[in-house]
Amino acid sequence: MARRALKRILLVEDDPDIQTVTSMALGSFGGYTVRVCGSALEAIAAAAEFRPDLILLDVMMPGMDGVDTLRALRQVPATATTPVIFLTARVQPADVAKYKELDSLAVIRKPFEPTVLVETIHEIWTRYRDEAH
Amino acid sequence: MSTGFDEIASQYPIALHEYIRDGGEGALLRAYQIGRHAVAIGVGVLEMAALHEEALLSALIATAAPEDGTHVAKRASEFFSEFLAPFELTRRGFQEAHSAMRDLNRGLERRLSAALQDFESAQDELIEQKRMEKQKNDFISVISHEVRTPLTSIHGALNLLKSGLGGDLNPQGQRLLDAAYRNSQRLVRLVNDLLDLQRIESGTMTFNLRPVDVHSLLEQAVESSQAHAGQLGIKLQLRGAPAGARVRVDSDRMMQVMTNLLSNAAKFSPPGETVTVEACRHNGGVRVEITDRGPGVPQEFHGRIFQKFAQAGHSERGGSGLGLSITKAIVEHMSGHVGFQSEPGRTTFYFDLPEWRRHVSREKAAGNMWPAGR
Repeated sequence: MARRALKRILLVEDDPDIQTVTSMALGSFGGYTVRVCGSALEAIAAAAEFRPDLILLDVMMPGMDGVDTLRALRQVPATATTPVIFLTARVQPADVAKYKELDSLAVIRKPFEPTVLVETIHEIWTRYRDEAH
Repeated sequence: MSTGFDEIASQYPIALHEYIRDGGEGALLRAYQIGRHAVAIGVGVLEMAALHEEALLSALIATAAPEDGTHVAKRASEFFSEFLAPFELTRRGFQEAHSAMRDLNRGLERRLSAALQDFESAQDELIEQKRMEKQKNDFISVISHEVRTPLTSIHGALNLLKSGLGGDLNPQGQRLLDAAYRNSQRLVRLVNDLLDLQRIESGTMTFNLRPVDVHSLLEQAVESSQAHAGQLGIKLQLRGAPAGARVRVDSDRMMQVMTNLLSNAAKFSPPGETVTVEACRHNGGVRVEITDRGPGVPQEFHGRIFQKFAQAGHSERGGSGLGLSITKAIVEHMSGHVGFQSEPGRTTFYFDLPEWRRHVSREKAAGNMWPAGR
């Protein structure tokens, strides 16, 4: 089955400044429609209505962390199979190994250059899409 | 020493250790038999006492817990008494045996307590060392995370401004923005380098070793560093690499090594110059050389150039002082060696890696998305 084009990105990130920078880059440079959620609960609430093509997920968040958020989002029909990229400062080898096991596409390390982030996401998405053919 | 004594010297510690571990009449009988053999071949009591002390110390060192030391000493004393019994049956041996036992008992307590003390302090030192190491790694890991989060916003905002998102700035504003961006890049590098160093030192850096074609690797490295060098007015040129030469390395880590060496070479070269990269076969391995036309490494700095936080008075050039130390650690982890030759106007940093010669089937293309996403 061919995968659809990347248009809608759900950004789950608790830091307001990183929200601003990331969503600005994704919107202005990538031309994506971005929905920003500051917590797992917000993301779960927004998932069904927003129906993202891709989820960018922070790991260190108060309350439910990124790993648990991913598990919760997998229970929501709209995001049960939506690809996820972790966007995190927690990149010790043990952490990265855990993200790999969690059915995610990739991990992008903070800090990142927002302009490069757009290119990286584009590359990852292209390969993900081509894999389906 | 006689062959007979050599035999005793090898049997005695085994029998003693056996008795310390399991006890039993059988082992004591063995002590008595060894003692009789010693008397028969004319070995002196004092020689035997020395042998006994040595065996006892090795038994103490092998003791798992310090509190077992008393038990070891008690059993050793029983064993030694049994071993000395045949000596007491001879006229000469009787006196010597008693005197040896007396000396031994007197010295034993002191030796035992010293050995236990050494053992305990070595153990404490090891525990303390491990605790400090863990504390340091935890600290770097926490700091690294705590710094990364605000840095993501700062660096991200500056990156977006530089890309023109906030509109055009006047020349003064642009200069200020460039300075802020350059320095936030420097901070990002420092944080990344610190984390890499911590991974190397804690042994958690992973290496995915595969045979790689040297020429392709260098071509890729030069291409990816060309833009950065270009900003400094430097050209990078790959002069060549031996056809078919391969090395078994982690490609990502090798790119890190090359990026670091090329960036250093470009940084220290006068604008308009060319930094050259060349590989050759050398001493059964492959040597990669990166040569610049910079001022050279100051003589007084030669001895510590690969040390952490070492910078030859050029901190204004934006390095973390960790790059060469990381480079060295990575290359050495892949069984290689780094070095340099420097004179004013020409500096060559090189690394040697063993050449991969085994014929292997073509590597399967990695269809994994992970590397690109990092």
